[in-house]
Amino acid sequence: MKRVFLPHNLEELWRIIAGEPKADIYAGGTDLLVKLRQNLINTPSLICLERIEELKGVHEQGDEVMIGACSTHTSLLENPIIQRNFPVLTKALNVLASPLIRNMGTIGGNICTASPAADTLPPLYVLKAEVEIRSRSASRQMALKEFILGPGITCLKAGEIVSGIWVKKVPGFNLHHFEKVGQRKALAIAIVSLATLFKISGEEMVEDVRLAWGSVAPTVVTSNEIEAMLVGHRLSRQVLKKAAPIARAIVKPIDDIRASADYRRQVAENLLIRLGSVQK
Amino acid sequence: MKSLEIGRPIPRVDAYSKTTGQERYAADYYGENLVWAGVKRAGIAHALIKDIHIDDAKTLPGVISILTHKDIQGSNRQGMIRKDQPVLADNKVNHCGDAVALVLAEDKASLHKALDLITLDLEPLPGIFDPEKAIGEGAPLVHEGHPQGNVLFKGVLETGDIEIGFKECHAVVEACFELPHQEHAYLETEAGWAILKENGQLKIVVSTQSPFRDRSEVAEALGINVEKVRIIAPYCGGAFGGKDGVTVQTLLGLAVFHCPGRPIKMWWDREESFLASPKRHPARLYYRLGVKPDGALHALDVRFYYDTGPYDHLGGAVMALGLEHACGPYRISNVSLKGFCVYTNSPIGGAFRGFGVPQVTAAMEQMMDMMATQLGLSPFEIRKRNAIRCGDKNPIGISVTGSTGFEECLKTLEEHYLWKKRNEWKSKAGPFKKRGVGIASVMHGMGYGPVVPDFANAKIELTREGKFRVFSGVVDIGQGNASTYLQIAGAILNQDMAHMELVLPDTESALPSGSASASRTTSTFGNALIGAAQSLKHRVLQRAAIYFMAKEIKEVDLIPGGVNHFTTGKEIPLSEMFHILDDSEKVAAYTFTAPTAKENPTEDQNLRLHGVPHLIFSYGVHLCYVEVDELTGNIEVKRYLAVSDCGRIINPQTFEQQIHGGIAQGIGYALCEEFIVKEGRVRTPDLATYIIPTALDVPEMDSIPLESYEPTGPFGLKGAGEISIDGPLPAIANAVADACGVRLFRSPFTPERVLKALKERENREFEH
Ligand SMILES: Cc1cc2nc3c(=O)[nH]c(=O)nc-3n(C[C@H](O)[C@H](O)[C@H](O)COP(=O)(O)OP(=O)(O)OC[C@H]3O[C@@H](n4cnc5c(N)ncnc54)[C@H](O)[C@@H]3O)c2cc1C
Repeated sequence: MKRVFLPHNLEELWRIIAGEPKADIYAGGTDLLVKLRQNLINTPSLICLERIEELKGVHEQGDEVMIGACSTHTSLLENPIIQRNFPVLTKALNVLASPLIRNMGTIGGNICTASPAADTLPPLYVLKAEVEIRSRSASRQMALKEFILGPGITCLKAGEIVSGIWVKKVPGFNLHHFEKVGQRKALAIAIVSLATLFKISGEEMVEDVRLAWGSVAPTVVTSNEIEAMLVGHRLSRQVLKKAAPIARAIVKPIDDIRASADYRRQVAENLLIRLGSVQK
Repeated sequence: MKSLEIGRPIPRVDAYSKTTGQERYAADYYGENLVWAGVKRAGIAHALIKDIHIDDAKTLPGVISILTHKDIQGSNRQGMIRKDQPVLADNKVNHCGDAVALVLAEDKASLHKALDLITLDLEPLPGIFDPEKAIGEGAPLVHEGHPQGNVLFKGVLETGDIEIGFKECHAVVEACFELPHQEHAYLETEAGWAILKENGQLKIVVSTQSPFRDRSEVAEALGINVEKVRIIAPYCGGAFGGKDGVTVQTLLGLAVFHCPGRPIKMWWDREESFLASPKRHPARLYYRLGVKPDGALHALDVRFYYDTGPYDHLGGAVMALGLEHACGPYRISNVSLKGFCVYTNSPIGGAFRGFGVPQVTAAMEQMMDMMATQLGLSPFEIRKRNAIRCGDKNPIGISVTGSTGFEECLKTLEEHYLWKKRNEWKSKAGPFKKRGVGIASVMHGMGYGPVVPDFANAKIELTREGKFRVFSGVVDIGQGNASTYLQIAGAILNQDMAHMELVLPDTESALPSGSASASRTTSTFGNALIGAAQSLKHRVLQRAAIYFMAKEIKEVDLIPGGVNHFTTGKEIPLSEMFHILDDSEKVAAYTFTAPTAKENPTEDQNLRLHGVPHLIFSYGVHLCYVEVDELTGNIEVKRYLAVSDCGRIINPQTFEQQIHGGIAQGIGYALCEEFIVKEGRVRTPDLATYIIPTALDVPEMDSIPLESYEPTGPFGLKGAGEISIDGPLPAIANAVADACGVRLFRSPFTPERVLKALKERENREFEH
């Protein structure tokens, strides 16, 4: 049996953390409880962030949006600020797990689990999201891609939590795209995913683009080189075919029960090819 | 209230209690002073047991008792035909899920600690995992003493002359197909609850398909008097064949003697269920098919291997049913069929919806399309030209009698808009998508075959409250047959649901009946129930006629809750009839045994024992639309149609649920389900790695029943529980071939395999 603490505000949380320095923290529990069942969690107690209102919600602040770390995936899917500004994130949330898991799981949990296959990460990478980290006495902010160090590894120190995610609005990007390849249509762990933001001109020319692949390396893969190759061109098959081998070269996938590394390499390349036929 | 009628979609009686969580499954039984039982499993595929170290675990606080094979008085063997599975392994481990020690503990935590503390001293033996290799020279033996080595059972069926037949052929197609283990993945994992009563009765509540057979298996394996064993079978939270045989029963039966008077519970978690439960047999099938110039099938040579794992969990019967269905619903005059059911150290191969038929259908129906391509015929045309009809001899030489609606199914398909509009739909594929349409014919035999009696005993009584109580002898494993029983009895007794009552199977109150399996559940028990209901009705009316001083019995009839005398308009409630009738008149029972084929396709008595031949078959034809993504290899099933001849339909809703469920499970079998064990280690230990379809992966499905009339069935019905799982794999395979010209001979058709095949085709085209 483990003790579970359910603080209702940050003040209470800091007090509990001080008294239970060894406790594990969780929000929706959709990752943590799986580990608990597999006996991978040895801490004597658990602290749940689910009831702390300060950590939830979406706040518009000028050209920036702050997403509370404990916002559930469902709440974000239904949120008009997210829908309006970050379709790339909505598209990913739409294929994350299932409605039941989305009702429980949070964006902060998805980030802190730092799974190579986490579905919100590629969109948050192309959005250049920043993570807000808080402890009892301090607060800091850093780029998401700096925050995630490897599979399951983040910069989070003892006594710290992720309180929010800051994302700048991206009015220039007029085409948001997310594709996930999994073993089925729901409740699927990504085998490969690709998030894309495009700025396409009236002449169908790429003026700007950001790309991020998931599940093909220990952390999300981005490529300035490929982005540069696409800018200034139409997304013709020819242009994409030229860029595709680079995608194959920069990913570092593994073989697992879901797919071979070879397949992941091939599909990482092919998802790029698909961009030519993505509808606006 | 209106009385129940045949052919109407009445709501299921279990719908409310299940959706509100009130229905009590075997897994829901607890009780005061509960003991938790659990099993230490081998974790290795093949080994000699040198020692089982239980001392550390035994002294753990909270541990009541730890038992091994030494504590078993009886044969320590269970099984249905060949009893070769130990309750607790004695000298050898034969697959990674073998049970080696049984722990009884005060609580779950102590149980798990104790299981971890037990260590096994095992001497590994070389394992054998490929059925074809297992029958080769020098292969390690799974059962040293078995006279046929690793061949559990071999079956041969021949008609005509296969050599001459092929010489007369105009075109020949040949292929080898490989299919994987499929896991049942029922919602409710194996669960049971037991107690040894003061009077010496061993009472077991268990999630099972076969309470009456379990009773004798438990008694024999443990060396106790069968009269002392009582099995109670609540609704199963799914079974699909995986609970047709002993799971926790014997273990609980052994446990109770070590804590008499206390309730004991065993409930496998998902990982244990995956590890220990039987699976659909993996198969390798070699097919060679020859035709005459007009497309008439003329010769078929089949040799196949079913991997049955180490025990006969109905494996022989599964293989035999595959053998009997290997030719599909067609006329073929020269046939040679050889099937091998082979022992290996893989997971146990056992009963699974379809029972050996999905594997052969996968092969035969792809052969039909390959042949059609070779001949330049449409897949529809080749099937139509060879379709079996009533009065034909089937390929194994048995006359086709009874309702045979296969041609009608084809006709219905041909006129359906999904068939007519297929080319239009195919032409509208988006970029990087290829669309294809595939069809597959299906047939499925019903019942146990010629030797093992396919019987049921129905019992029905009038209660003090004026209701008719039906004692079901056959478990409802989720398919809804219990409701159908009330519908059948209610229709005969002219009652509404409010005046019908159901008692789920209990070996103490129900009369012996066969298992919930073999697409026989509604047919065999339904026939028995008709007899019992009619007999009770007659008795009630005879006595009511006297009561009303009627001249003839025709003047009275049952109405919901009572009996009506037409001539006077007077009524008597059934609750009053209860007092008029003597106890001996309030209950009626009736036996029904399914008819068997008169002809005999084989001299092999053993093959007959394993179920060949069947007399009554359901038929159908399936169609699916698929879209293949050339960039990922992903196959999406976009639309599905199943036309079925399962005789008359008693409850259209229940029927449709069966067809839909089978299609969904069949789509999983075709696209993603593959239980992988490597050298005794399970690589797909849970639902995160063993992929079953979700609601989003199943397309809109149309089910059209033909409603032919089968004279031997209750109200004209035939079996419908299995046939729909036979079609999806070949229909999808054929659709994929239609879409992009590749055929995968190994399933499931994962995106990775498809993409590889597409690439290989591209490379070939490049070379040419
Ligand atoms: C059946 C199933 C299907 C799934 N499918 C998908 C899928 O398709 N795609 C996908 O990406 N994920 C999937 N997941 C994983 C999981 O649901 C997500 O990662 C989810 O976003 C985790 O959020 P949570 O709040 O439940 O995390 P929790 O389990 O509560 O926490 C996860 C980890 O993050 C830490 N943590 C959580 N919140 C904070 C915080 N605010 N500050 C500091 N640390 C924190 C915890 O300490 C813990 O280590 C699935 C999980 C399950 C069980």
